[in-house]
Amino acid sequence: MEEPPVREEEEEEGDGNDLGPEGALGKSPSQLTTEDVYDISYVMGRELMALGSDPRVTQLQFKIVRVLEMLETLVSEGSLEAEELRLERDSLRKEVQALRNRGPVATSEVSLGSNKMVVDLTDPNRPRFTLQELRDVLQERNKLKAQLLVAQEELQCYKSGLIPPRETPGGRREKDTLVTRTSNASSNKEEKTIIKKLFFFRSGKQT
Amino acid sequence: MAKKTYDLLFKLLLIGDSGVGKTCVLFRFSDDAFNTTFISTIGIDFKIKTVELQGKKIKLQIWDTAGQERFHTITTSYYRGAMGIMLVYDITNGKSFENISKWLRNIDEHANEDVERMLLGNKCDMDDKRVVPKGKGEQIAREHGIRFFETSAKANINIEKAFLTLAEDILRKTPVKEPNSENVDISSGGGVTGWKSKCC
Repeated sequence: MEEPPVREEEEEEGDGNDLGPEGALGKSPSQLTTEDVYDISYVMGRELMALGSDPRVTQLQFKIVRVLEMLETLVSEGSLEAEELRLERDSLRKEVQALRNRGPVATSEVSLGSNKMVVDLTDPNRPRFTLQELRDVLQERNKLKAQLLVAQEELQCYKSGLIPPRETPGGRREKDTLVTRTSNASSNKEEKTIIKKLFFFRSGKQT
Repeated sequence: MAKKTYDLLFKLLLIGDSGVGKTCVLFRFSDDAFNTTFISTIGIDFKIKTVELQGKKIKLQIWDTAGQERFHTITTSYYRGAMGIMLVYDITNGKSFENISKWLRNIDEHANEDVERMLLGNKCDMDDKRVVPKGKGEQIAREHGIRFFETSAKANINIEKAFLTLAEDILRKTPVKEPNSENVDISSGGGVTGWKSKCC
């Protein structure tokens, strides 16, 4: 459709086809049909006839016929090709439209397969962590919760005076072996406690 | 001399479809409270409650699982340590009842063979919305040789009874002085009926 340069000519000559065979010469090459080529050959043939039977004219006539035949072939092939491309373009357009209508989820399924999931990276609530990470966090949460409960219970025992103050290992311990041993001897444990704490790991290994 | 704050530790597990009220059942038992807002449990949680049975202080560590399918690989790994499992369904939700067989199969696959099982039909206060007749719950429990209660965490119906009964059933199977060892005396399976004479 590169018409602009030819446009002026077209306008000068008026409305193309209405001018009869002469109009074909004013057309854009890309719009030329085989009919136009025949019109052109008719016009040129008529003008060559007018030049008389000079042998040079005859020579030229053969060449012109040959050129016009070539032009005819090009034009008919070109229009066929153009028609094919137009059909293909239309069917592709339809396909694109159909895919768009099916929505973004459907299109991603098409490209990824049914066992894949698409994550919207702009969604602040998108899934980010693995099941293993969740498992670990939950395990730690529940372990700490258990330890807190044990500590609270123990604290309650001290507060209510059930257990006399004594040293307690600072590290972790089985949550169900709460306060199994009580040293009956009362107090003066402050220093001992610190030392015990310092040697907690060693003593823990021995028992 | 008060050395230990409890004599025995029992580990219990709550399972069942999402939204049947497992967390509410547990919350009623542990804190004697009820909350209407639904917050889906993430993975696994637990609560502790100490009860006294037959002169023994029994610490119940009750694991509350997420009913949602996506947490199942996490929750099933907690079946193994459970001594008692409560399978909860919602009497106003037919699907949750249909899934009982699925949950029972999960127990068979992942829990200890001698685990005490119990079936609970929760939300029994909502009789106007009931879709699972009590008889159906009783029937399926009978078929599997397990106890059954209809409960309501909201109206506080049978909650404590259910937990205490389950704890008693475990206590009956537990050899004295060895709280955590596996029971060797009792054949697995229909332990409940076998020990009924001692109960009640």
